[in-house]
This record gives sequence, structure tokens and C-alpha cells, in this order.
Amino acid sequence: MTSYERMQNILRRKPVDRIGLYEHFWGDTHKKWTREGHLKEGEPVDDHFGFDLMECWPFNLVARLDFKPEVVEETEETILTRDGNGALLRRHKLHDATPEHVDFLVKDRRLWEEHVKPFLLPQRERINFEAYRNVKRAAREKGRFFVWSGVNVFELMHPVCGHEAMLMGMLTDPDWIKDMVKTYSELTVSLMEILFAEEGDPDGVWFYEDMGLKARPFVSLDMYRDIILPGHRRTIDFAKSRGLPVIMHSCGYVAPLVPGMIEAGIDCLQVIEVKAGMDLVQLYKDFGDRLSFMGGIDVRVLYSNDKGLIEQELSSKIPIVKRGYGYALHSDHSIPDQVEYDSYRFFVERGLELGHY
Amino acid sequence: MSTELLKEIATCIERGKVNAASPYPPDMKGKEGADELVKKALDQGIPASEILEKALIVGMSAIGQKFSRNEVFVPDVLMAAKAMQAAMKHLRPFFDSGEAKHRGTFIIGTVQGDLHDIGKNLVAMVIEGGGYKVVDLGVDVSPEKFVDAVKQNPGASVGLSALLTTTMINMEKTVKLVKEAMPGTKVIVGGAPLTQEFADKIGADAYSPDPQGALEFLNRTN
Repeated sequence: MTSYERMQNILRRKPVDRIGLYEHFWGDTHKKWTREGHLKEGEPVDDHFGFDLMECWPFNLVARLDFKPEVVEETEETILTRDGNGALLRRHKLHDATPEHVDFLVKDRRLWEEHVKPFLLPQRERINFEAYRNVKRAAREKGRFFVWSGVNVFELMHPVCGHEAMLMGMLTDPDWIKDMVKTYSELTVSLMEILFAEEGDPDGVWFYEDMGLKARPFVSLDMYRDIILPGHRRTIDFAKSRGLPVIMHSCGYVAPLVPGMIEAGIDCLQVIEVKAGMDLVQLYKDFGDRLSFMGGIDVRVLYSNDKGLIEQELSSKIPIVKRGYGYALHSDHSIPDQVEYDSYRFFVERGLELGHY
Repeated sequence: MSTELLKEIATCIERGKVNAASPYPPDMKGKEGADELVKKALDQGIPASEILEKALIVGMSAIGQKFSRNEVFVPDVLMAAKAMQAAMKHLRPFFDSGEAKHRGTFIIGTVQGDLHDIGKNLVAMVIEGGGYKVVDLGVDVSPEKFVDAVKQNPGASVGLSALLTTTMINMEKTVKLVKEAMPGTKVIVGGAPLTQEFADKIGADAYSPDPQGALEFLNRTN
């Protein structure tokens, strides 16, 4: 089977030759493995390991497209900038990490309506047509499954107003948060319509949403259903209307939200973060008839660099979760540079060996 | 009378009723909140320490325990903390003057290299609500900065947070330096990639998966 055919079937839980393969890496890992000579200079990891998917993130949903990020403060290690959403972000200069959101211009409905909402228009400038076209073409040439990737409403709202205002707003002014959800989901669909009409459909859609903390989601299932789900459903329905399967990423413990995500229409849950409390085998038992999975292999075991432990982790999960044909091998987050190349190589080879049918 | 008022304040904290103007929670709309009721309690002569112990800590403890049991979620804890802040605004002068005392001091920060703060902030809110003075060092905090804070706050306990597997390794150095600088200092660690096993390995005194666990540890050791 080609990677394209394999992922088409995995996302629909139809028979395949083996489980799928994909991964995310911290940028430092790629650099280290290249420096050590395991990867050639500029060699993509997806080619090196033979991943089944290729992704493109073609949208820019920042409010002020014309805003030039201004540097507010710079130290030897960090840089503080104001972005086009009016948010102050601190980034690390020396290594890869999620930026810290220091402060936000938008703190309530009035400021959202004044400073952000009017700018969220479906402009062509928000779409990187060329990047989408190039990755799509490359995926075709390599026989891989090509996905449009981007964030969905939860991950679009908090960079504008912060987690705290967003989460408290869900209680104190739910109509404001619902308005943000509606605005961003409609904008996403409008931009997808423009892009797909001009450049053709992808093979699938992948939404990134970080809705969990350790051992608990940010919000209850009821609150998810009331406030977030309508945005997920709107964007997922659009993908489904074009016959595209949908992968949903979430870090953290989101098991209580899975029934809601299934109602929203997702086909595959990724990344299943073990260290936050997610249990791949249990999720398979509970939802494997309705959902495919990608991830759920404890990255802490990988950076132990102990092949015995990696073998144990893989053999305790893969023979079970591959049964329904709906599984793709992936760690439970991203591969840090503490993982030795040989450990990751073993993880891939042994994982796929166990994952053959 | 004062017992009833303290109960009302505790309810406002637990339910996140900040003040009379706050529309949340809907079933308490138009009623006085933590802001007004704490002022009223002080006006009635109830000591600040009694308001803290019998109302604020009671309310925050109730929400913290519910959070631990997954009966409430992050928005509810944030609202409770907001109500707590509204109440503390009136009590702070009594703590500053020494008339009322905190249960102890808790220094908290996200370790060097890590810029995540949601989990750390939640822990700080619940600990403050538990009656402790919180010294929040923010994110990306170097081991040396923790040591300085410990020296400036003798007897304080320390909380270290990390979200990333790539940064939790920085905890070990911080624990070592803090314990060297101020032997006997209690250090508790938390964050997504952490486990009790890791906490034991790096010499931390405790690990907690949630804010309430951290508060209970402080209550046991202070």
C-alpha cells in the first residue's frame, strides 16, 4: 500500500498492511541528529523515516495582518514582542518552546469587538497558497497522505485574550466566547473554501487544540458541548461535506471530552499524552469502534534510551490498538533531543514490526 | 450573626461571586459578593485573621477539593480566586501591619527554560486561598533566583513547576541549590511530565498532581 492508501484506510478503520507512522519533533532534535551525522544536512525527517503524512499550515489568523511585531524587550535568552492580536509574547532565543503570553490587549467583549473581530476577514493574504501547493505536490510525488493543518477555536481564542479571560468568560459572559467561537470557525471555513477551490482539496484535515491539563481538561464536557463544540462541528462538518477525514490533536488529559469530540465528528484523536493521564489502550477499548488514534506512546520511555523499556511500551499497546486498523504510531507529544537517534530508530522499526498485519 | 456572615463569604469565594455588580453566578445576581461582605465583616469588628481562617480558607478549600475530584474545572477555580482577590484587598493592610498572620510563605515559579504558567498560576491561587503568602517568581526562573528568594524569605516552602520534558531536568539543580543554601527548606514539584518517582530521584520533598495536594502538603509541614 502507499502511505496515501494506508492513511485513507486507517482514518476510516479499514484493513491495511501495517499501522501508520508519523511524528513531531522539537527543532533541537533535528539539529542534534544532523550534527551527529544521522541525518544529511537539510534532510527532512519524514523522508528519512518514511512517514505516511505530510502537513501544511497555510493560514494566518492573527487579527492585524499588517502589524509588524514590535520588540518590547530583549535579553540574552528571551525576546518580548507585541503581535498582531495585541498580545505580548515572550519567546526563548536559545531553544524551542511554546511562547509565554505575558499580557493581552483584549480582556473582555468590548475590547474583542473593538480591536480584533472587525479585522478577522477572509482575505487572500491570510492564505499561503504557494506553501500549500508545494506540499500537496510533494505529497503526491511521494505517495503520501496530505493534510491541511491548523488550529481550531480553542487555540485561536486564548492567544487573543489569554487562558484566564477566556475561561472566566465562559462563565461570566458565555455569549462573548460563543461569538469568538463562531467568528473563528466561520473565518476558517471561508478561508478553506477559497484555498480548496483554487488549489484542490487535501486528503484530510488536522485541527490542533490543546484542551487539557494534567489529569483534567480545562473545561467540563457540558461546557465543551455548549461553547466549543459548535465551532468544532462547523469546521468539521465543512471538511466532511468534502469527504475529508478529520484528525484532532489535543495535549493534556482530554478523555472526558472524547464523547463530545466524537459528536463534533472527529475521525482520529492525536496525541494521547500519557504523562497527563491519557490511556491509549483504554481509549481504544471505549471508542475504538468509532475513532482512530495516533500517538499514546510515552515519550519518557523514549528518552530513557532503554530499548528494553521501549520494547515493553510498544508491545503492551500496539498489538491491542492495531486490531481495528485505526492506529498510527506516534509518541505522546514531540521527540525532545534527549532521545538518541538509535532509540528513535528502534522505536520506529520495532513499532512497525509489531504493527504489521 | 458573625458566623452567618462568614458562611456567606465562604460561599461567595467557593462560587466565585466577586461583588454585587458581577453577573456570575446567575443565581446570585444582584446579591453582595466577597468584596462587600468582607468589608461588612471588618466593619462589624470581626478580626481579619478570623475572616481569613473561617471564610476565605474555607471557601477556597471547598473549591480546591472539588477541583481535585474533577467536580469543577479551571474556570470555576479562576472565579473563586478572583473572589478571593476581591476579599484580600480588604485584608491586606492587616497582614502588612502584622495584625493578621499568614500560615506560611510559599515561593513558586516555573523552572528555567520553561515559559508555561497556567498550572503554576492555579497552584499559586489555591495556596494563597489557603492562607499562605505567595511569592510568585513567574516563569523561566533560574535556580539562583529561587535561592535568592529563599534567603529573603526564611522558612518559606518552594514550589517548582515544569510543563516540558525538556525543562523538568532543570528542577534537579534548583532543588539541590535551594537545599544547600537553606537546609530544611521543603520543596514540592508539579507539572505534566512529573511523577512521584522523578520527585524522589531529584530530592524533592513532595510531588502533587494538583493544587489541592500542594496545599495539603504545606498544611502538613508548616
